Amino acid sequence: MKKSTIILIAIIAIAAIWGVSAYNGLVKMDESVNTAWSNVENQYQRRADLIPNLVNTVKGYAAHEKETLEAVMAARSKATQMTIDADNLTPEKLQEYQKAQGEIGSALGRLLAITEAYPDLKANENFKELQAQLEGTENRISVERRNFNEVARTYNTSIRTFPKTIIAGMCGFDKRPYFEAEEGANKAPEVKF
Amino acid sequence: MRKLLFILTFIGLLGGISLQAKEYTIQEIPMVHLQDRTRYVSNPDNILSPSAVATMDSILYALEEKTGIQTLVVAVTGIEGGDCFDFAYRLGKEMGVGQKERDNGLVILLSTDERCIQFATGYGLEGVLPDAICKRIQSRYMVKHLGKEDWNTGMVEGIRAVNAYLDGSMENIGGQEEDDDTAILIFLAFIFGGVILFTLIVAYFGNRCPKCKKRHALQRVSSQVVSRKLGVITSEVTYLCKYCGHRHVTKEQSSDPNFRGPRGGSTIFMGGGGFGRGGGGFSGGSFGGGSFGGGGAGSRF
Repeated sequence: MKKSTIILIAIIAIAAIWGVSAYNGLVKMDESVNTAWSNVENQYQRRADLIPNLVNTVKGYAAHEKETLEAVMAARSKATQMTIDADNLTPEKLQEYQKAQGEIGSALGRLLAITEAYPDLKANENFKELQAQLEGTENRISVERRNFNEVARTYNTSIRTFPKTIIAGMCGFDKRPYFEAEEGANKAPEVKF
Repeated sequence: MRKLLFILTFIGLLGGISLQAKEYTIQEIPMVHLQDRTRYVSNPDNILSPSAVATMDSILYALEEKTGIQTLVVAVTGIEGGDCFDFAYRLGKEMGVGQKERDNGLVILLSTDERCIQFATGYGLEGVLPDAICKRIQSRYMVKHLGKEDWNTGMVEGIRAVNAYLDGSMENIGGQEEDDDTAILIFLAFIFGGVILFTLIVAYFGNRCPKCKKRHALQRVSSQVVSRKLGVITSEVTYLCKYCGHRHVTKEQSSDPNFRGPRGGSTIFMGGGGFGRGGGGFSGGSFGGGSFGGGGAGSRF
């Protein structure tokens, strides 16, 4: 065998080994983005699960605030219908999702604002604990969103930097969208005690 | 003129800073637990009295011994950013409070400027100590005292309530500290064994008569100090061989116990004995690296 052939084979072998390990690294990162996304969805789901209980408790004291209560339930059912598979997470879908969840947030904000007028409700132990759970869930949501953004950023940087970008382009690793900074309607309800 | 203005601004800034309560960043919070594993309460501004801190430390130490739950209590006058949840969460996350596999860390933050009390629970504690319970403990035992600026009572009562709730909630398994201890023991055994071996080797080979080459032959007959220089005593030591009667003279150096350095007077210094808390066999603790997902609850007062 000629010397140049050996060198060529060696180069190909090294490239193949590098390619496999780079590919595996990208798969791992891709999976961690998926995990981070499902954590975000879990926390939003957790908030959605709290809502019926909260609405019922408020209803007991403030039944005539029907409009606000219904708005919360409507926003909830709209948002829970929407789940995004982590693999086809596009910027548009994420924005839509964020908007739907933001509507729950602002409806909840209005609900909590009207409870200020009901001292009996505010003194209710069950309501207080629901509020604490709600606040905790909002905190968890923001933690998981931040975490998702971090993981997605690492992944995006990785697939866009040379030479991994070659592998990413060949095997169809796509850029993942980020959660936008909260503004206006997306603002989490301010829970005050 | 500009210089004067600059200096005035600078003085103004300085004055402003000294008047304001200190706003701590995460890194500035002293981690007392790392110096002494029986301590959990970081109280850099002396908001809490020493006796309150001691009470809390002993409760939390017992809690960790029994359940493995690691707690970090921080009482400060102000925090950077002013977001109590975020600060408590980041404290827990960045310090890694809690055992690694169980994520059973708990951070309790009191900031008197923000007027907030905040609990942050690790992932593994979220089920045991749900947000609603954190909130209940705060509103039943802490807020009424903290509102009256009775920091000691509020915090001690709160820690008692947390302890009462968590006691028996989990077992202290897979203690990180025990692993550390066995590692230290193995290390010590190695050193100890090494020292013994070395002594044996020296005794075996070192005591050989240079003339007849017999082992264990030399006996120390006499020694005479030749010089004392800068704390080093040089002396001539004479050995006698038991077998052939060969006299072997060597020069040996040792450190002078009476030497007190070039400036030393006749004053006798006692060893610098510290009476620090860490002195009596307390070793530094460690946080296990637990992770946090935003659990816990906070109250304002």
